[in-house]
Parts: sequence; structure tokens; C-alpha cells
Amino acid sequence: MDTSVIIQIVVSGAFMGLVYALVAYGFQLTFATSKTINFGQGELVMLSAFFSLTLTRLGAPYWLMVPGGLLFGALLGLFVERAAVRLALEQKSEGWILLTIILGLLGFSSAENIWGRDDHPFPTPISSDPIHVVGVDITPLEISVAVGVLGIMGLIELFKRRTLLGKAFEAVSADRDAAELMGISSTRTVMLSYALSGAVAALAGILVAPITTVGPTMASALILKAFSVAVVAGLESGFGVVVVGLFLGGLENLASLYLGSGWREAPGLLLLILALALRPNGIFGKASIRKV
Amino acid sequence: MKKTLIGSMLVLMLGSGTAWAADTIKIAITGPFSGGSAPMGVSMRDGAKLAIGSINAAGGVDVGGKKMKLEIIERDDEAKNERGALIAQELAAMSDLSGVIGTVNTGVVLAGDKHLQEKGIVKIITPAAGSASMTQWRDAKAKDLSIFRFAAHDGIQAAMVVEEAINRKFTKVAIIHDSTNYGVSGRNDLVDQIAKQGNKLEVVATEKFNIGDKDMTAQLLHAKSAGAQAILIWGIGPELAAVANGMAKNGMKEPLIGGWTLSMANYIDNAGKNADGTLMPQTFIEEAVTPKSKAFIDAYHKVYGVTRIPSPVSAAQGYDAVLIFAAAVKQAGSTDSKKIKEALEDLKDPVQGVIATWNKPFSKWDPADESTHEAFRREQTVMGMVKDGRVVFANEADRARLAKAEGGKKKAK
Repeated sequence: MDTSVIIQIVVSGAFMGLVYALVAYGFQLTFATSKTINFGQGELVMLSAFFSLTLTRLGAPYWLMVPGGLLFGALLGLFVERAAVRLALEQKSEGWILLTIILGLLGFSSAENIWGRDDHPFPTPISSDPIHVVGVDITPLEISVAVGVLGIMGLIELFKRRTLLGKAFEAVSADRDAAELMGISSTRTVMLSYALSGAVAALAGILVAPITTVGPTMASALILKAFSVAVVAGLESGFGVVVVGLFLGGLENLASLYLGSGWREAPGLLLLILALALRPNGIFGKASIRKV
Repeated sequence: MKKTLIGSMLVLMLGSGTAWAADTIKIAITGPFSGGSAPMGVSMRDGAKLAIGSINAAGGVDVGGKKMKLEIIERDDEAKNERGALIAQELAAMSDLSGVIGTVNTGVVLAGDKHLQEKGIVKIITPAAGSASMTQWRDAKAKDLSIFRFAAHDGIQAAMVVEEAINRKFTKVAIIHDSTNYGVSGRNDLVDQIAKQGNKLEVVATEKFNIGDKDMTAQLLHAKSAGAQAILIWGIGPELAAVANGMAKNGMKEPLIGGWTLSMANYIDNAGKNADGTLMPQTFIEEAVTPKSKAFIDAYHKVYGVTRIPSPVSAAQGYDAVLIFAAAVKQAGSTDSKKIKEALEDLKDPVQGVIATWNKPFSKWDPADESTHEAFRREQTVMGMVKDGRVVFANEADRARLAKAEGGKKKAK
């Protein structure tokens, strides 16, 4: 197998890895403020993609469809927070785990009933004809994925560091009770984090849909990998998920090239087991001190 | 008074095509009318209904001197094996059922048909193409069989795919298939055919993928770096589209040649312009080459309000299967499924269908040779090619041959 093939396959895997990283980042956002994650995040990705597809079919241009999809994702995120998370947080129970899973299942069934079980192509103005960059074929579609993923993560990180609201977000992430005492509403902040997380999921859906097509099961494999990425990288570091995402995406494709496509998922799972055994807080995570 | 009122209401509700139960020939149409295989199921059903509609409009089928109308019983198997089995059991329990037409998925055929065979109910399988649907009865050494198939089975299709690759002067090919029964048996058929046709093709790579896979880069790069000049492929719509899109992404211009599933709407739509040039065997092409096919296509478009039949092959096969079934009922002079079976095995009069004129499509079941209950031969099948979102004739010669065959018949009359 010559080198150009290997580089090609690693590069195209890495672009997919960025999508895993973006979905994993959505886990991080809610985990930071509330120590909860939405187990139905994959359905958020899928429902937002379907919604965006519907917008396009109704004649909305691309520049209007993207913010429309993001807004829909944010609203879904808020709905998940209200319906599944808030009460559980108030009662300091773990009920959110089951509730977010159930909401996810509900979302899946709704999608099947509204849009059917078929996969639909997702029209995009961005070309999928490859351009040749130093011996590697890259499509503008893949570049749009990279720009979109890194762009939104950069924006959110800037927001967290530069704005007052963002500082409140960081304060709640650091210490909820102390932030409450300083007059920051932790409920509002958790809502904000779920809205952001929903918007991030929607963007992941819009970016990946032209490559994978839109269907009720489009995110089921994606979400497992994003979860691996989040756990391996740790639930704190945005930079970490990007690095691990790129690595896992490339590794996956290498495995399917050398071991056969049936082994595609194997290195990711191995990585997950290793990370849990050796660094339970993730490679980029901080060791937690549990106060008793 | 009350009874007549209810009766006339029923007639109104069911449409003028339905008469009293005792005077009808009951025929069940089963297939996936929802889900991923729905384009085939729905087209087959709608094609069959067109035929039933036109027979009923002409007064029905002459059964022993009495005109009887066809009554449809519809069942959606959702392409699920377990639902298919349940439906087959339900149909097998109906005492006055004359026959069954349908089934798209080979798995559903394998799960359900045994119940019909037990009761000796005639089933015409269309458009499921997997070889196992008929070879299971050869392997079981069934002495008598009420199951017939009206679809170009995978053996014929694989032969045509290999033939096409040889005709196009390719010497190195890659075989890519899905990991289901359908894909694996398709691969075996292809390998057999390459040997049978003189080993003119060298298989430089054999790759597989799973249902639901979206990224085929690894398999395609294997094929590319091995120097394949064409990709021979066996799978279904969504994954086939992922392969075509992956080829475009990796700058591969080699043609895709494979089973008739490459004409599925969910392949053509999801692959978009990347589907152009794809080749696959077809039994019917949505082009008005003969007056008969023009009438059929126009009627389908008009009745169902479409400009493109979701699966033209399924629609045409559904249509012709009903005509053949009706001819068998007429010859049997009975609505009894066992008598219809005997008539099917020895149809005296040719049946003018939209695909071809069917001259003794089936013969007496031979436990050693399942082709006795297979209607399609090589000559009823043509090569189709995707062009701008539609399937057209790949070879002008085929189109000319079909047009000429029809013209010749006219003169003979």
C-alpha cells in the first residue's frame, strides 16, 4: 500500500473525527455547568438535520437554513433541560440519565413518524468534487466541516472568556454554590449550556448530513464515537476533544484499511477501555478532588 | 331495504370494481409499503392494481363461463421477516384465497412462503431476486410447489454484469458487496460467472460493507490501489449511494456495475450526479419504446400523479404478474388455488405483458431444477444505465430489439 493512500485515508478519517469532536464538545458544555449530559444528544443531531432539510425543501437558502437549524437545536436543548434535567438537579437525583435516554427514544420515534424511515440526501451549495492538495484529495465539503467545527468551538470559548454571561458560565462550572452566592442564577446558566449544546449538536448534524445523508439512524454510530472521544479526552478540555477526535477518526480509517472494515470500531473501543483503566478523568482531564 | 342500503353503501365505499364476495377472485398483494424498501413495494402494488383495474373494467376474468372480478387483499410486511411470516400465516388460513403476488425482500420470502406452500396456495414472487427464494425448494426436494417467481433472479443478473464488464474490455475488476445474505450470495454468483465466462476478468480486490455504513473510503482505496477498472457491486440503495459518493470523493471514475438494486430511487437520489453511468440489469425501462409500454407508463403516471415511477421494474413486474395470474385463472376455470397452480405450469395462450409476450413462462415443477418455476430468462432482461436521475437503456441495441420485437408481432397478427 503506498504512502499517498495511507495519508489520504488518515486525512479523510480526521475530518470525520472533527464531527465526533463537535458532538463531544456538546457533552462537555452541559457537563461543565450541571454535571449532566444528554444521552439523547444523537437524536438532537438527527432531528436538527431533519428540520434543516425541511427548511431547505420549503425553499430557504443555505445562509438562512443554518441559523434556522441552530435555533431549532437550541430550542430542543432547552426542552431537554426543562423536561429531563431541571427537576432531577433540584432533587439531586440521577433521574436525568433515564429521562434523557427516554427523550431521545421519543425523538427517534417522532422522526420516524414525521419524516419516515428512509435516508434522504441533504442538498448543499458546497461542492463535493475533490480538490488536489499536496497529493491528497480533499473536498470543499470536508473543509466546510473543519471550518464549521473549529469556528463554533472558537466562538463559544471566546464567549466564555470575554463576556459577562460567559464568565458566569465559567463561575457556575467552577463552583455552583459559590456562584449562586455571588448572585449568579445557576438554573439560567444550565439552561444556557443546554441551549448552546443543542445548537452545537444541530451544527454537527448540518455539517455531517451532506456526507452521510439524513435518516433516523444517522447519528446512532456518531454518538457512540463522540462519547468515546469525550471520555478519552476528558469532560473538561475543548482542545482535548479536537485532538482525540482527529486521532480517533484517522485511526478508525487505518483500522478498516489494514484489518478490514469489520474492525473499524475496534481501536476506538480499545482506546476507551485503556483511557478508563489508566486515566479515568481523560487524557486532558484534571484529576478531580471529591469533597466528602 | 336496510340490507340493500348497506350493500349499496359498501359498493360505493369499495369502488365500482368490487362486487359481491362470492363472485370475486381473491388475490393478496404483499410487500413493504413503508420503510427503506417501499419504493419497490409500492411500485409493485400500484403496477398490479393497474392491471387489476383494467381487467375489472373489462368485466373481470372469465371463470368457467362466468365473469368474475378480482378483489385485492393488501398487506404491508414492512420488509420485516417476522411480519412477513405472520402475514403468510394469516393468508394461508383464508379458505377462499386464490393466490398471492408480491414480496420484495428475500428474507421475507424465506420466512413466509413455507406457510403458503403447506396449504398449496399459489404465490408469484415479485420482485425479490435473491437466488435462495427458489433454490430453498430445490434443496428441500419439494415434490410439488405452488411458489413461482416472476423476477430476474440473481444468477441471470450476475451473468449479465460479468458479460457487460467483459464487453467493455475490462480485465481487472473489484467486487464490493454488503454483508447480508443478498450481498454474499451475489458475490458468489459473480465469482461463479467469471469462471463460467472463461476467467477473462481478474478480481483484484474483494471488499464488503455493512448495512448502515456511510464511509466506504477504505474499501474503495483498496480497489483503487489494486488497479480495478470497474467495480462490480451487490447491495441495496443507501449503501450503494455511499459507495458512489465515496468514489466521487476519492476521484474514482471507474464504472459501477451491479444488481438491479442500483435502479432503486434511494440510490439514484442519494448519489445524485455521482450515480450517472451506473449500469445494472433491468426487466423494464421507463421509456416508451413500444405502444404497450407507453400505455403502461402513461397510465401509471396519470393514475398515481407522478412523473417518475419509483421502481419501474417492480411496477412492470407487478403488472405482468397479475396478467399471467388472471390467464391461469381463466384457463383453470376455477378460483381454486391448486387448479390455478396446474394452469400456471402449463399456460396454453401467450400473455401480452408490458415486459414481453409470455409464452409458457413456467413449466411443471422439477425438484432438481428450480428454473421450471422461474419466468425470466436472459432475453427478457436488458442493461440499464443511470442518466440524470433516471434509468435509460445502456445499449441502443436493446432498445431497438424491444421495439422491433413488438413491431414483428404486429405483423404476425
